[in-house]
Amino acid sequence: MNNPHHLNPTSLKSRFTTRFLRALTKIRAQKPISSSSPTEIFRRYRRIKVAADKSMAYSVRSRRIWSKAMLWKLRSRSYRRQDPCSGRRSGKTNQAIMKKSSNENTTTRREDGVGFVEEADELRQLVPGGETMNLCNLLDETAHYIKCLTTQVQVMKKIADFYSF
Amino acid sequence: MQPCSREMQAMNSLLSPTQQIPLQDLQPNGNSGTHQAQIHNPQFDPTSSHDDFLDQMLSTLPSCSWSDLKSPWDPPKSDETPPSNPDNNVGFHYDEILASKLRQHQINGGGGGTTAAMKMMMQQQMMLPGRPIAAAGGGGLTMPLHNDIVDGSSFKSPNQQGGEGSVQALYNGFGAGSLHGTNNQSPNQPQHFHHPQAYLLFSFTFSPKYHEDPKWANDTYPVIHKYLFIVQGGNMQTQSFGATAGTVMNQSQASGSTTGGAPAQPKQRVRARRGQATDPHSIAERLRRERIAERMKALQELVPNANKTDKASMLDEIIDYVKFLQLQVKVLSMSRLGGAAAVAPLVADMPSEGGDCVQTTAGGGGSLQRNSNGNQPSANNDSLTETEHQVAKLMEEDMGSAMQYLQGKGLCLMPISLATAISTATCHSRNPMINKGSSSNHPLLQSNGDGPSSPSMSVLTVQSATMGNGGLDGSAKDAASVSKP
Repeated sequence: MNNPHHLNPTSLKSRFTTRFLRALTKIRAQKPISSSSPTEIFRRYRRIKVAADKSMAYSVRSRRIWSKAMLWKLRSRSYRRQDPCSGRRSGKTNQAIMKKSSNENTTTRREDGVGFVEEADELRQLVPGGETMNLCNLLDETAHYIKCLTTQVQVMKKIADFYSF
Repeated sequence: MQPCSREMQAMNSLLSPTQQIPLQDLQPNGNSGTHQAQIHNPQFDPTSSHDDFLDQMLSTLPSCSWSDLKSPWDPPKSDETPPSNPDNNVGFHYDEILASKLRQHQINGGGGGTTAAMKMMMQQQMMLPGRPIAAAGGGGLTMPLHNDIVDGSSFKSPNQQGGEGSVQALYNGFGAGSLHGTNNQSPNQPQHFHHPQAYLLFSFTFSPKYHEDPKWANDTYPVIHKYLFIVQGGNMQTQSFGATAGTVMNQSQASGSTTGGAPAQPKQRVRARRGQATDPHSIAERLRRERIAERMKALQELVPNANKTDKASMLDEIIDYVKFLQLQVKVLSMSRLGGAAAVAPLVADMPSEGGDCVQTTAGGGGSLQRNSNGNQPSANNDSLTETEHQVAKLMEEDMGSAMQYLQGKGLCLMPISLATAISTATCHSRNPMINKGSSSNHPLLQSNGDGPSSPSMSVLTVQSATMGNGGLDGSAKDAASVSKP
């Protein structure tokens, strides 16, 4: 098993892997591994994590609600970083939109009649974009999200193992 | 029981030559399509009552000889071998096989062209006695009825063909235990049985309807075949057969419209076509609940340790698992800071406590720095031990409190396999002195003392003895949170 990730070139795993590796090499090129101060390390960690999430979200495109929400979040964060003014503006408008939609959905979605409100809320917080989903969709999205997360973890683990030798 | 080989041959001979099923095919092992039959094997025990009935019928037919069965039809195939599957309910088994085979035939459209003709014939036959069910004969017999007649057999019906509805009706008529109306309509009966094939065709006739009616049990097929044999046996039997058929038809006609989909069999799906629950809200509610249950089932497969009993605990499991996965991503991204010791784990060889093996790895930062040669100042060791004791105690009562305690100390909980992965990932590049934790009691890692080794992230790994190093998935039980400075 030389390249377990690339057996199927169109699978989620291979898409994610290629993107993630590209991002990693970019990060590595940017910042040499010199600094070892905690803040630097932290920043680097954040960058890597963001790269991982971003590559996963891009691999899924906008086919899923959670990936769309995640992409939106990442983009807004990057905008905010680049240009504080525009970031604030867009952030505010976007947040307003999100809040409004969530408020609208509050009445319809809160009481699903099934009785799992607290767990459902907690799940909504975990899954990106979960606030605007009713329980049915939420479970669906969670399943896909779990699948993608496991893929992500597998790939990252393999990469870590590979590069640490 | 009856000689099955002869039954099979008779059955086959009853079918038109084009429809004859090679006996080999009828064996369950030889055909994947008979899996349904096999599924239903355990359910066939309750059909012993049918056996009794059959015996009853047969006992009243002293003159019947099996050879009669074969006379009007094509000679049975001589090359067919009886099924070699010894079985307790061999007859039933055969019937199952036959049933599924017949269904397959129907599914495959075997007899598609002739179906209409058969239908016509059947309708004629049914019309002869002037029964009102004639209209229902062709297609309307797919009613859901018969549930009021509980035979004690649990019928499962994945894909059922339409004809079995009526077949089931007949069966239930029989199963009710009495040949009621045996003598009632005798003058009308003989016409039914001029074409014994009609009853076989009977099962074929309604096949097109079946696709919409998934409720019907597979088991009706075997039953009907049994009764078909009886039919051939003698007039009296056939009359009773026809009579009961007729009465059952009537019953079904009457009850079909009302009872709708009331499932008498315990495991049947609730159908939307209920007479009672016509309220759109409740139907919508039910649909929603079904969908949610489907999704929960799908999630259950994804999440390990999903031995759920109820939905709430399942949801909790799911939530924990998602948190765990997200944490894994975080930790792995930390570990991959190629060279920078994001995690500078420290090994403390700890004795197991109460079945749990606790390994403490505390990384970098100020207070917990360690030497590279692995000297472990006893003071720190003691504090770690004490911490572990405390954590173990807390864990027995509630994971949450244990976690909080740890976080208060700036530590976190991590599955041992993850810690192993991280440590091997990071420490290999830096420190040759690494002990990979191979057993639960092993020290996990070597410390890295170079420089300000890590962000002050401390990791306390707890691994229950039961879980072992079964990979990250196996240790999903351990919640882990990384506390950052």
